[in-house]
Amino acid sequence: MASVAELKENHAVATAKVNTLRERLRQRRQMLLDTDVERYSKAQGRAPVSFNPTDLVCCRTLQGHSGKVYSLDWTPEKNWIVSASQDGRLIVWNALTSQKTHAIKLHCPWVMTCAFAPNGQSVACGGLDSACSIFNLNSQADRDGNLPVSRMLTGHKGYVSSCQYVPDQETRLITSSGDQTCVLWDVTTGQRISIFGGEFPSGHTADVFSLSINSSNTNMFVSGSCDATVRLWDIRIASRAVRTYHGHEGDINSVKFFPDGQRFGTGSDDGTCRLFDMRTGHQLQVYSREPDRNDNELPTVTSIAFSISGRLLFAGYSNGDCYVWDTLLAEVVLNLGTLQNSHEGRISCLGLSSDGSALCTGSWDKNLKIWAFSGHRKIV
Amino acid sequence: MIEAMTTDEVHVTVGWEEEGENKGGNGSGESGKSTIFKQIKLLFQTGFNEAELRSYISVIHANVYQTIKILHDGAKELSQVESDSSKYVISPDNQEIGEKLSEIAGRLDYPLLIKELVHDVKKLWQDPAIQETFSCGSIVQLPDCAQYFMENLDRLAEADYVPTKEDVLHARVRTNGVVQIQFSPVGEGKRGGEVYRLYDVGGQRNERRKWIHLFEGVNAVIFCAAISEYDQMLFEDETKNRMMETKELFDWVLKQRCFEKTSFMLFLNKFDIFERKIQKVPLSVCEWFKDYQPIAPGKQEVEHAYEFVKKKFEELYFQSSKPDRVDRVFKIYRTTALDQKLVKKTFKLIDESMRRSREGS
Repeated sequence: MASVAELKENHAVATAKVNTLRERLRQRRQMLLDTDVERYSKAQGRAPVSFNPTDLVCCRTLQGHSGKVYSLDWTPEKNWIVSASQDGRLIVWNALTSQKTHAIKLHCPWVMTCAFAPNGQSVACGGLDSACSIFNLNSQADRDGNLPVSRMLTGHKGYVSSCQYVPDQETRLITSSGDQTCVLWDVTTGQRISIFGGEFPSGHTADVFSLSINSSNTNMFVSGSCDATVRLWDIRIASRAVRTYHGHEGDINSVKFFPDGQRFGTGSDDGTCRLFDMRTGHQLQVYSREPDRNDNELPTVTSIAFSISGRLLFAGYSNGDCYVWDTLLAEVVLNLGTLQNSHEGRISCLGLSSDGSALCTGSWDKNLKIWAFSGHRKIV
Repeated sequence: MIEAMTTDEVHVTVGWEEEGENKGGNGSGESGKSTIFKQIKLLFQTGFNEAELRSYISVIHANVYQTIKILHDGAKELSQVESDSSKYVISPDNQEIGEKLSEIAGRLDYPLLIKELVHDVKKLWQDPAIQETFSCGSIVQLPDCAQYFMENLDRLAEADYVPTKEDVLHARVRTNGVVQIQFSPVGEGKRGGEVYRLYDVGGQRNERRKWIHLFEGVNAVIFCAAISEYDQMLFEDETKNRMMETKELFDWVLKQRCFEKTSFMLFLNKFDIFERKIQKVPLSVCEWFKDYQPIAPGKQEVEHAYEFVKKKFEELYFQSSKPDRVDRVFKIYRTTALDQKLVKKTFKLIDESMRRSREGS
């Protein structure tokens, strides 16, 4: 039996070998990548998206939280939004009227994520309690006016950073966690159906912070992590990741599938957004900000979303900026952070309504804002 | 419909120290903060009722198995690695018992601690090799509760065993989420009785930078540093000294933007263990304290060593605090989480201090 010292040495040798191979792979990819989306589009003579500052305006400010907003989600059909805040509450809003239909007091106030069920009848949330709580919006409030938890999904060994229901499936939900795993849950029984990562190799090697299910093929989802990689998973095969995507140089805070389900976007602490090809693993485009004149700390990307066609990429930043990127030409066409009525703090979350006509942003300034395309502007 | 956060609630976050990886409850490196939680429950709440006391039985039994496994496996490893290895070789009569207990303790579910098993545990505990391993508990990552439970084995295995408060205070269980407790040091309902909410975040073993900002707005951070750990290594990285890890962590927390205006309470904890250890192991084994000069053996030395450590933390505090944070409250408390009187006194002091700073603002 090998001694501890021998094992340590073997481990070091193996690690060095993996790093060498990884570097070789990276160089090979570099060689194969002859162009990126921006250069290709420009070569094709693609016209830029024309955008006026008045095309996208803040039409609602949703006030009510007494703490930083951390997460938001739209219903798939109606125009309701659920938001989660550091004040320990979930609020359900009617986006059209600004009315609050529910204010749910959470047992653990340290909430980091929330999501609407496909039928809009339930909401899920999770955070530092390392669990995901489900609330049925139709249930009876108790004596103190609080909605009871209808199901608690426990088992994670670290905070729940993100949760998403599997589209069209009320009973299935996927969570991502600080314990480096993602889990597929059966909401009706509270059981874990599959664990992605953790004890099995090819899982993330640091906190998983975000996930996105492919709406074109709901068997696939991607997860973004503090290990600076994104991993693609097939729900049916939990034992290993399908593919790992390298490129970012910092924590990945947000991942979102591109509308066609063949690509996905990412946002990171390294200040960039990137577009990856799901099948080949290639990094198709980097969306980098201009360096700040004042040489302040580089703002990080906290959250992203694509427009319906994918032509626009919305990115929220830690300094309150909210860039609208032209995904083809890699240019910023608008900064919602400089418009009238913009947020006064970090943008922590954002999301597009299901019909793509409105964008909702959530901020550490305690508010949510709804931005709509105005006038003649068509939805992009 | 939506009430504002009431202003007469005081939110305090209990700071944290690295905890060991805990498959099946193993590991060590507790800074004592969850002991403090239990003390608070005993002091300022209704304490533990019989059902709650009983709920600790499985935890305590688990601690017994974990302890004996660490000692057994530790002895085996030391006998292969150390130069004078023979003193760590378990005697032939006990080897079979040792393997059996180690196997049991490696399972996900432990069997109830019955008389026969206790007999085996005791026999192994008394083996000279095990005792030798125990004396270098720091190296093998032995939890602090080891000796206490080993010395109370018979009582723990009785059929009608109900854990005492003392047993519960010593018990070690790891949580994954955030533990929350609400209490009033003066007494709830009494005039001027502030309600405190304490959150223990030590159960999160991951990237703090991703969630620490959730705590922006708490009134105070209580940072627990086990000063007895200056000669111990981390469970998850045996090349890293725990005190150095604590130093880095404290530095990091102090610099977080979300705590710019937050009061800091530093608990220099496990003073009782520190007191005993200082006589045998010099402070200077820890890099941070390498310039320490002992003066004289005995009680004087303990005080001198403690003051030295305290000064190091103070220096670190001022180095890590930007000029615009100098008016934030910073207090240091010497604590022994197992000492109920001391914990009570400490919280009364904290209560006074928090009141004063709130009145002043």
